[in-house]
Amino acid sequence: MKYFRVIGLAVALCLALIPGNPFISQASEDTQCFKCHTSAKKLIEITREIAKTRPALKSSETKGEG
Amino acid sequence: MEPLAPHEKIFVDSDIVDDENHGEIACHECHGGNPDDPDWKTAHKGVVKDPTYPDATSACGDCHDEINENYQKSLHASLRPYRLTIDKRSNPNAVIRNKVECAMNSHCYQCHSSCGQCHISRPNSVEGGFLDGHLFQKKPPMQEVCTACHGSRIEKEYFGENKGVLPDVHKEKYMKCDKCHTGDEMHGNGKDYANRYEVENGSKCLDCHEGVYGREAKNVITHRIHRDKAGCQVCHAQPYKNCSACHVGKDEKGLTFFKTKASWLDFKIGLNPLKSEKRPEKFVTLRHIPVDRGTFDFYVKDGLSNFDTLPTWKLATPHNIRLKTPQNSNCNACHGNESLFLLEKDIEDKEKEANKGVIVPANLIPRKQKWQPK
Repeated sequence: MKYFRVIGLAVALCLALIPGNPFISQASEDTQCFKCHTSAKKLIEITREIAKTRPALKSSETKGEG
Repeated sequence: MEPLAPHEKIFVDSDIVDDENHGEIACHECHGGNPDDPDWKTAHKGVVKDPTYPDATSACGDCHDEINENYQKSLHASLRPYRLTIDKRSNPNAVIRNKVECAMNSHCYQCHSSCGQCHISRPNSVEGGFLDGHLFQKKPPMQEVCTACHGSRIEKEYFGENKGVLPDVHKEKYMKCDKCHTGDEMHGNGKDYANRYEVENGSKCLDCHEGVYGREAKNVITHRIHRDKAGCQVCHAQPYKNCSACHVGKDEKGLTFFKTKASWLDFKIGLNPLKSEKRPEKFVTLRHIPVDRGTFDFYVKDGLSNFDTLPTWKLATPHNIRLKTPQNSNCNACHGNESLFLLEKDIEDKEKEANKGVIVPANLIPRKQKWQPK
């Protein structure tokens, strides 16, 4: 029993010392959101695609300082 | 401010997973959407761009509960001064008032902030976009957040971008907004305030310069003579920007727009319209604000039928402070110098009634002095 406790503590200590919790990173990195939003190439492609279909959001009639 | 490129606005720095406080929160926990869907179009169904506005409780409240609770009443979120001043100027007729409220929703109330629009992205009013790849910024960067909204007046004053006007002395000391305007002030303290000058933990010059009335202080006589009579800016501010004639509407595509007349630099000392225990001075600097009798004419005629109930020259604290200014170079640079004071002749006829409480009558202009303190 004591042996398992020591091993358990050692494993926990190692995990705590590794920069960036690997389990946490894994959870985020696995999502499609993360894969796409961390890729400039993908984002450029998608935003260009959006720009073709989406009209301007700002009126050209605005004049002066807000 | 130049907007970010579309892809830059939504690029996430992968280092976010190393953020010990926020890195373990998966994207969809705050923003919704489907994290397992590889098709971006369907994956974004139900996505909330800013999950911190109008209510940040689910996104931030679990950990930052006190800030989240107070923030609802902070002026950056509540916009209470806008509401109160427009309410006061509005036509009391319920139908007309309702149309003014609709116009306010489409225009004025679009300028607000949120947890996300200070600590994660640029504000919506400058088209948003992550500040640093969605890495959480404890202190919002001054020029991407604070002066992104407070740009026309404060930024230009503070950085000395108005022609012929020097930058604020505090800028030259490398001070950023948060040096005076603390997080506590920005987040609010849970109380409703009618204007920013009432905010209890708002910044005051005396917070740092409390010694100006002390025996050992330079110019102690001058400071003591003017105590409670003139606001600090009366002696230490330079000419600042004034705006007028804001009109709002929608173009043929249904997009909102506003138009103002060209702004102008001016320096006007007037009677304090917001005298209080905290701000007892008789004379303060006043700035002409953009509101106009016809601001909402596009939506409804005579929307601001009680326009004259509030001045259009408003108490101002210009952010272009200097130790030495033309008006404080000697006593008579200000005393007896009519051009510095807001007189009846400076006001357009249509605004005279609104400003009668802040106009300085000739007999109140301080007289020229023979004696000069050493």
